[in-house]
Amino acid sequence: MTVRKRVVGVGLLGAGALVLLGLGLLRHPGGSKTHPAQPQAFLSQVGRLPPPQRPAFEVGQPKLLSRHELIAWFAPVRREVDARKAPRETAAGVASLTLRTAEATTNIVLVLRQRREPGGLWVQIRLPVLPNNLTGWVPRRALGGYHVVHTHLVVDLERLNASLLNDGRKVFSAQIGIGKPDSPTPTGEFYVRDRVSGFGNPFYGPIAFGTSARSAVLTDWPAGGFVGLHGTNEPNLIPGRISHGCIRMRNQDIVRLSHLMPVGTPISIH
Amino acid sequence: MSDPVSTLEQFDVDGALRETAAAAFPLTRGELFRLSATAAAAGALGYFGASVEEADAAAAKTENDIAILRFDQTLEYLQAGLYTEAERLGALKPATLGWARIVGAHERAHLRAIENLLGDKALKNPGFDYGGVTSDESAFLKTAVAFEDLTAALLKWQAPRLDSRAIVAAAVSLHSVETRHAAWIRHLVGLEPATTAFDKPASQHKMAQLISSTHFLVARPKVAAKTKPRYTG
Repeated sequence: MTVRKRVVGVGLLGAGALVLLGLGLLRHPGGSKTHPAQPQAFLSQVGRLPPPQRPAFEVGQPKLLSRHELIAWFAPVRREVDARKAPRETAAGVASLTLRTAEATTNIVLVLRQRREPGGLWVQIRLPVLPNNLTGWVPRRALGGYHVVHTHLVVDLERLNASLLNDGRKVFSAQIGIGKPDSPTPTGEFYVRDRVSGFGNPFYGPIAFGTSARSAVLTDWPAGGFVGLHGTNEPNLIPGRISHGCIRMRNQDIVRLSHLMPVGTPISIH
Repeated sequence: MSDPVSTLEQFDVDGALRETAAAAFPLTRGELFRLSATAAAAGALGYFGASVEEADAAAAKTENDIAILRFDQTLEYLQAGLYTEAERLGALKPATLGWARIVGAHERAHLRAIENLLGDKALKNPGFDYGGVTSDESAFLKTAVAFEDLTAALLKWQAPRLDSRAIVAAAVSLHSVETRHAAWIRHLVGLEPATTAFDKPASQHKMAQLISSTHFLVARPKVAAKTKPRYTG
């Protein structure tokens, strides 16, 4: 394209633009804001906008659940119910569940698995009854909300030691006192039911955890002979086979454990 | 029928439920009475009986913004808990579990952000009972659609009521994500993701009614006591 042709072209474009502008002014004599946006004017507006408001917070990177988390579930008993051998109303009952423990805390149970049956959702639970290690089935509606714990207490009766795992990693270990030969600490799978403190009895130390384990020997013990996990006023006897079935720890150890182990934690005693 | 307000203290041991109720659901006295009646019948929703004055006492300079943020925090607790539990139980269809995995992570991130902003004004987790919803495909999908749709509408209702432009700016970043969640779950269910050209806002009261209708919000179990142990020793 020659220079002359280019000049003529630009001139025609300019004339056309003037005509269009004139038509626009005729339609909107006041030069109102309803003008079609002019590219230059539009772009010049951008610079005149106020600076952006800094948000009060910025949402961090979302964290997906780990595929390797090791969790256990527990739930409160919401209504008095008979746990059954199988997930159906007609199955034989294995134990009755109350709403409260002897310490007036909420009765909780460890949730093992769920199964959907024609009659609804059923849950297999670990029971705080004799014989130890008993499980049973209850309707989902008999339980309250599910709670998750990442911890697991492993009690080694041979080595007189207790270890707490969090997602499978050891976070605590301490020497323990366990049941005497005539009142042994029961073995099997249990869970932490509750936690009591402020009772002012040095025999139990500053803090005591109730478990679902029960003495098979001291069945006439008040409240049914539940095995606890607690401090002591005789730390010199630990480690040893010294108790009525309870698991004793030195006071500094039970205090340390109380900061790491939530109620609902499964316990393996072997 | 027992008085829900008088039994609340025994029921709500650490006060988390009362704190949530007072701060996140500042209802009128008439609304309180109506919801308290429902609560007494259910035995688990007495939290609506908590006093509105508690919320006022807890509020600071931007009382209005704190009240709105606390409401959102409770809602994030509820949604994060619902989706996280569904993912962990793993009883739903793979596509639904995939949605719960991603959206659960988003809601947990939202919750952390709101908690950080509220600082010492943040609420404790009040405790939830999702019943069998997290293990039932149909019930879960219906619940998720209801909550995601309403959350998107709720943020639209809250935004013009916020005093701080900085919080509005932050809320907008949540709002668009919540609408994506809503469209995604609607698509999974087979519903139209976007049914209108303009959305209407939905009030906090409407959301409180939805939460109340689910009976999800309950007191946490009382698992600690100051009493003499009766263990074998």
